[in-house]
Amino acid sequence: MSHFDWGSGAIVKPEEPKKKKNVQIIPAQTDLKKRAVNFVNGFDINLSPEQLEELEQVVQRSSETFVRDVGKDLMDCRRLVIQALGDKSKRPDAVTACSDLAYSVKALGGTFQYPLMTQIAKSMENFVADRTTANEKQLLVSQLHIDSLYVILAGRVTGFGSTVEQATVAALTKLAERYEQPRE
Amino acid sequence: MNAKIDFRKISFLIVDGDKISAQVVYDTLAYLGASHIQRVKTPNDAFEILRREKIDIVVCEWRLRGMDGLEFLDVMRNSTNSPNRFIPVIMLTAHSEHKYVTTARDLGITEFLAKPFNAKALYSRLVSVIARPRRFINTGTYFGPDRRRRQVQFDGPDRRSLDE
Repeated sequence: MSHFDWGSGAIVKPEEPKKKKNVQIIPAQTDLKKRAVNFVNGFDINLSPEQLEELEQVVQRSSETFVRDVGKDLMDCRRLVIQALGDKSKRPDAVTACSDLAYSVKALGGTFQYPLMTQIAKSMENFVADRTTANEKQLLVSQLHIDSLYVILAGRVTGFGSTVEQATVAALTKLAERYEQPRE
Repeated sequence: MNAKIDFRKISFLIVDGDKISAQVVYDTLAYLGASHIQRVKTPNDAFEILRREKIDIVVCEWRLRGMDGLEFLDVMRNSTNSPNRFIPVIMLTAHSEHKYVTTARDLGITEFLAKPFNAKALYSRLVSVIARPRRFINTGTYFGPDRRRRQVQFDGPDRRSLDE
């Protein structure tokens, strides 16, 4: 109900009651912590640089598998792209294969000291994203990406490479931008 | 004396269609001492295991065949058929752009790990999930771990009402 405020000399309307958000706060589940965190067994929460180095070596154990499997995937994908160049009905499958390969290499290249592969795969992934098919030129652009990835892998070019490799990445990205359309 | 984590007492489920990626996570967990580690390629297989066995932590890839990692997470957190709405989920993905991180966060992800990753990054996510569990928030539009990791002082009557 509104009332006259003698102090300010104004008619004051009562404030609308605030609508409270219906928020339920559930305490953290500490079962896992109680079971696994202790002062006797296991690995330190803060690993020493030596322990981290050992753990990194465990990750790197799969490096050879990566080289072998991705090498095979690159060859299979290249074959599909070449077949798709001559057979339009195979293009959707070739695009899907390129997309899967690009994602996989982008995800793992850097883990196994091949960040250059991650860069090229990223360019390829952007190029094939949201496509269901591709025209001849677009398939050739994909093939160039695949070939570049293969060369890096076969030459075991770890790290980001020299200026030549970086120029190749830049050229591939520009090429992908140039033939980006139509995206269907 | 340093606090330690005994990974033997924790069970893991890896959901990843990529053989090498799943192997890297598996090897790392096995090296840390975990003996209960299972690997599946699809969310449907994951649900089957989660309904049958007690799993403590799920490590899931975003890009999966059929239902993707986000849909899997959505079902885990919000479905009445969920085997465990509170289970910690570490999302691995090569989609590292900001929009993907916020999407995953707003669906209730516990930890996000961008690929390519290294051993240190994976270990820090595991530590965070195990040793620093977060409270859960349930609103009409969100169910999952508290997205406010940094607790700042607030001396008003109701901090959350300022969100509007």
